Amino acid sequence: MISQLFILSSKGDHLIYKDYRGEAGSDVIDVFYEKVTALTGDQPPVVMSHKDLHFVHIRQGGLYWVATTTADSSPFSIIEFLNRLSGLVKDYCGSLSEKAIQMNFALIYELLDEVLDYGYVQTTSSDVLKNFIQSEAVSSKPFSLFDLSNVGLFGAETQQNKVAPSSAATRPIQSSRDPGGKSEIFVDVIEKMSVVIGSNGVLMKADIEGEIRVKCYMPSCSEMRIGLNEEFSVGKSQLRGYGAAVRVDECSFHQSVQLDEFQSHRILRLCPSQGEHTVMQYRLSDELPSAPPFRLFPSVERDSAGRLLMYLKLRCDLPPKRSVSLLPEGAGLSQELSSPDQSAELQLQNRTVFWKIPRLCGGTQLSALFKLDVPGLSSASMLEVGPVGLSFELPKWTGTGLQIRFLRLSPVHPGPSQRWVRYVTHSDSYIIRI
Amino acid sequence: MQEWASQLCENRQFGSKMTDSKYFTTTKKGEIFELKAELNSDKKEKKKEAVKKVIASMTVGKDVSALFPDVVNCMQTDNLELKKLVYLYLMNYAKSQPDMAIMAVNTFVKDCEDPNPLIRALAVRTMGCIRVDKITEYLCEPLRKCLKDEDPYVRKTAAVCVAKLHDINAQLVEDQGFLDTLKDLISDSNPMVVANAVAALSEIAESHPNSNLLDLNPQTINKLLTALNECTEWGQIFILDCLANYTPRDDRESQSICERVTPRLSHANSAVVLSAVKVLMKFMEMLPKDLDYYGTLLKKLAPPLVTLLSAEPELQYVALRNINLIVQRRPEILKHEMKVFFVKYNDPIYVKLEKLDIMIRLASQANIAQVLAELKEYATEVDVDFVRKAVRAIGRCAIKVEQSAERCVSTLLDLIQTKVNYVVQEAIVVIKDIFRKYPNKYESVIATLCENLDSLDEPEARAAMIWIVGEYAERIDNADELLESFLEGFHDESTQVQLQLLTAIVKLFLKKPTETQELVQQVLSLATQDSDNPDLRDRGYIYWRLLSTDPVAAKEVVLAEKPLISEETDLIEPTLLEELICHIGTLASVYHKPPSAFVEGSRGVQHKRLPGSAGSGESVESPDTGSAAGVSDAPPAVIPSQGDLLGDLLNLDLTPPATTGPPPPATSGMQLGAMDLLGGGLDSLMGDESEPLGGDLGGSSAMGAGFGAPPAAPAASFSAPVSGGLDDLFDLGGGVGMPMGAYSPPKTVWLPAMKGKGLEISGTFARRAGVIQMEMTLTNKAMSVMTDFAIQFNRNSFGLAPAGPLQVLTPLSPNQSIEVTLPLNTVGPVMKMDPLNNLQVAVKNNIDVFYFSCQYPISMLFVEDGKMERQVFLATWKDISNDNEAQFQIKDCHLSSDAVSNKLQGSNIFTIAKRTVDGQDMLYQSTKLSNGIWVLAELRVQTGNPTFTVCLKCRAPEVSQCVFQSYDAVLKN
Repeated sequence: MISQLFILSSKGDHLIYKDYRGEAGSDVIDVFYEKVTALTGDQPPVVMSHKDLHFVHIRQGGLYWVATTTADSSPFSIIEFLNRLSGLVKDYCGSLSEKAIQMNFALIYELLDEVLDYGYVQTTSSDVLKNFIQSEAVSSKPFSLFDLSNVGLFGAETQQNKVAPSSAATRPIQSSRDPGGKSEIFVDVIEKMSVVIGSNGVLMKADIEGEIRVKCYMPSCSEMRIGLNEEFSVGKSQLRGYGAAVRVDECSFHQSVQLDEFQSHRILRLCPSQGEHTVMQYRLSDELPSAPPFRLFPSVERDSAGRLLMYLKLRCDLPPKRSVSLLPEGAGLSQELSSPDQSAELQLQNRTVFWKIPRLCGGTQLSALFKLDVPGLSSASMLEVGPVGLSFELPKWTGTGLQIRFLRLSPVHPGPSQRWVRYVTHSDSYIIRI
Repeated sequence: MQEWASQLCENRQFGSKMTDSKYFTTTKKGEIFELKAELNSDKKEKKKEAVKKVIASMTVGKDVSALFPDVVNCMQTDNLELKKLVYLYLMNYAKSQPDMAIMAVNTFVKDCEDPNPLIRALAVRTMGCIRVDKITEYLCEPLRKCLKDEDPYVRKTAAVCVAKLHDINAQLVEDQGFLDTLKDLISDSNPMVVANAVAALSEIAESHPNSNLLDLNPQTINKLLTALNECTEWGQIFILDCLANYTPRDDRESQSICERVTPRLSHANSAVVLSAVKVLMKFMEMLPKDLDYYGTLLKKLAPPLVTLLSAEPELQYVALRNINLIVQRRPEILKHEMKVFFVKYNDPIYVKLEKLDIMIRLASQANIAQVLAELKEYATEVDVDFVRKAVRAIGRCAIKVEQSAERCVSTLLDLIQTKVNYVVQEAIVVIKDIFRKYPNKYESVIATLCENLDSLDEPEARAAMIWIVGEYAERIDNADELLESFLEGFHDESTQVQLQLLTAIVKLFLKKPTETQELVQQVLSLATQDSDNPDLRDRGYIYWRLLSTDPVAAKEVVLAEKPLISEETDLIEPTLLEELICHIGTLASVYHKPPSAFVEGSRGVQHKRLPGSAGSGESVESPDTGSAAGVSDAPPAVIPSQGDLLGDLLNLDLTPPATTGPPPPATSGMQLGAMDLLGGGLDSLMGDESEPLGGDLGGSSAMGAGFGAPPAAPAASFSAPVSGGLDDLFDLGGGVGMPMGAYSPPKTVWLPAMKGKGLEISGTFARRAGVIQMEMTLTNKAMSVMTDFAIQFNRNSFGLAPAGPLQVLTPLSPNQSIEVTLPLNTVGPVMKMDPLNNLQVAVKNNIDVFYFSCQYPISMLFVEDGKMERQVFLATWKDISNDNEAQFQIKDCHLSSDAVSNKLQGSNIFTIAKRTVDGQDMLYQSTKLSNGIWVLAELRVQTGNPTFTVCLKCRAPEVSQCVFQSYDAVLKN
């Protein structure tokens, strides 16, 4: 049971405060802020206690979303709830920021009144809530699809590629009530990859966690059918059809998804509610269908002058014509890089070399030589070098090979409607040991 | 709009300076005045904007209560948006302005009748939130109507309102019969209503632990399970949490509930998943392990748990804390999933540490190579804390998986080669632990360790190194030089290092007396004369005296064999673990503390127990479970299994030592073989019986040999009190029911005649004049005469063994009973039993051998010298970690604290101090068990309250439960 709920800005200003059970005063807000800012890195921030009050909080959009409780309630449901709440607020206000919250506080109080009653979560579904919410959202900026100042996720090329920028979906859901509003739907396949490659080049661990996320801005969409690859299979043993199967170990679905056509035709049927939700989540461990996208060939040695030499060769094994942006990091410098648009810097406080590569084409190879002056370098300290971590973003590519075959909406919408299907793979933790 | 947004920004500056009241009031006046005018404006839009401004000020912590009447005036409107805003204001200020809040009541009552269900629900919801006593009486009628409203939205809001009202005025809710209406709502057609009714009832029931409010029976459970499928995800959580409190009647019911809960495991909401896991973990206890379904369920639990780890770090952390518990309870669930716990490079440190812990818990021979490779990799990372933990983890692996010890040691040596200061220090600390587990096995590494002596600057590492040098002084040629080098800065060292250094040098002296006399004198004088630390001084004096009076004894004491350490030291204590498993997914599972430790206040916190294990305690007492002839209906949890029992009895080595009989036959022939061996063993004991009996314990040497007990010394020292005890017995005659101070439970039937081929044994245990006695009544219900009685115990937790043979001198004729008293001692072989005070007994007569098990009250093991000094008590209490504390409640005990303390004294529970705080008497008590375990207790007695709270602290927390039972029994008899 949630006793109080409040939203703070990153500077600790009170934006929203609601007390559900009268168990503690509003002075605890400042207590919370003091505690959360005093946390050190190795203390888990999840649950903090003050007398007999427990704080559970998340950070979204640069804000603190905090719930307090006095009973032995479940931090899981509270965190989950706070995440949903921030999602709801984002759906309703268009974006998450201090300003958006301030301008829409009446709306947010109204939401808070409906989603929680006496600390019991009532509902977080925007479909149900739309029946109760009266206030209109105040948007800070009129939405424009071609507002390029916000293009981030997919790089600058997006416009030529005719891909909707990721900011396209940041607008209030209620604006779709207006007859003139654009009706659009976005289906994103997002995968996070974590890979460990041993010092001998052997792939030690490879996991992919993926999700299909739907952002719906359709005023009247009764049913949507998403077709996945037909050869998609779940579990270790089950194989379908011939050729390379698209396989995942486990998947789970949003409760609104109907799976009657899933077994036979791999079709997800759902009635999307307004806003953003994750329709399907899946996970694949160890047996990736393709080789990992990047290989690194490192050599680390000590030269005659007692300097540490690191020669790194990075190869991208993706099909050609795919470009990625990368940020590998290693273990203080003179540098020789293979092309001019890259950059490298030494970060002393965390003892890493940061090699930044704006773009890497599939099938190509880059190399870098770092020379480091390390005082008191011994052969034993060579053992301390490494590992190399890569962070990257691969658009239009999925590690599992999952594809959206088709996207059908019914009833067929008369006016101009747009459907977008986007794929992206991020690195979660891509480690190459030296 | 922009306007009051900018105002908000301005207000925030006030919010942070709320204490600056002077500044605050001066600006407020004008502003409030302005708002007042706007609130009373005729234009609806303007009114709405004004109320919004008021609420904006309220949010940032400004006091706008002066506007109360003006805002309430805006209440009567048909604009829902405005109404909501006004209600929001009301909820905030009603408490501080109760009189004015009454003004709003009429509107509320009216709104509750509004044709629009949204308004009805809004009114009833808001009224419940106005925590003013006066309002409650007006609330009852509208609430009653709303509970029966046709619209489910109103009903679900009303259901929650009952809980709100109950919190303000519980009596009123009961008088008005709202609870019954609420119970009816469990059968509502709308799942949302059901979920809220369940949530409300659960909360109300929590504050009345004994009420039967949430009457869970198979019918209601069925209803809940049906609603589960239709509810929203949040409703599912309420229902699952409620289900977790239910105890199924049998394994079939528990299986069917599990089957219906399992689909929730694939829910996208991780809170639903974890609540489902909780229900399954709990009900699984009741399923027989050989059931196919049990295996299926185990398999189904792994994937959702793994999926939880793909969430954000915060959720991952919570999930890991829970998985840590699950892994300790049922390691088999995740035994194949080791890889998912491998640390990611970019995990936050708190997630990394938690993963590391789980990795070690899952480490086994099968995966140890993989784990070690990972740990070695972690040990080269940048983060110092993590590296330390990783090195420590390698040590724990070595201790846990014996086969891997060698590989672990060589990995540690590799790490020491890196010469990274903190890695080396940490490695030395864990190598010390490895030496404690595997003595005399890896001394070859000592040379490498010694090379790094100079780089050690942390006390723990220095102490560890000194310990190693002292322990293996005879193998290190320059041990004396090494220790001497530490001695130079003796006074600058921390206590830990000083103590260790003292001990190490004394060890060295005992091993190489000739060369080190000077050194030992030096350290003794440093410790005793130049130090202010009492611990150090005392230890120094003890060594000094030992060395000067009896060097041989000193050798025995200082160089005694040390008990091996085991990996169990870092496991959560089982009863706590059981309780925490019942709280999976809650704060308790994150803190790893029982809820009573951090939830304050009136809500009675009940200790939850897992169903299976709670049942086993009772069923042991039923006498038929221990019978020998392979009774299949005995629950497996009670006595490990028939095979085990026989096996254990076999291990007693009943055959005379001279005959090196064949090894115990394996499985199939087990039972027969066991009988034979036992028969032989008992016969040989019978032979002893023909020797003179009485005080000299003729049998004891044979018994001693039979049990493999230590030779003559203990037997001799026991003969005096035992014979005294025997004399006493004869004086006492029957000896039953004589009030001797110590509590002795009434006799119960241990072996019914049906199982004993006509021999019925009932009995009890008592402690009389410092001697533990087993008092039995043997009754012959068969048609023939019984002779040749003998008795034998299995190994048990406290080494209880008969101090003499069973004295049935005359044959027992049909329908005759005889009272027998068997003195016991505690020098027998020890084996931990479950429950702790379980005793498995074999009795033989001319007909057959019979087995039964019984439980002895642990109070008979409380020795007479169990009174601790106050100071010692205080120090010990502090010294024992809080994890070893257990809390229990004794109900329905109408005794004053003095009477309590007298009564307990009779059973050797000594009250050391008494303190009275707020009418509550706190008794501090100590008890010593026959095996030297001290139990400290804090007993809280509140005058007029029949429920006492006992807090037990003990270094061996597993005895707490038994000790509590004794408290309970002693106080109630």
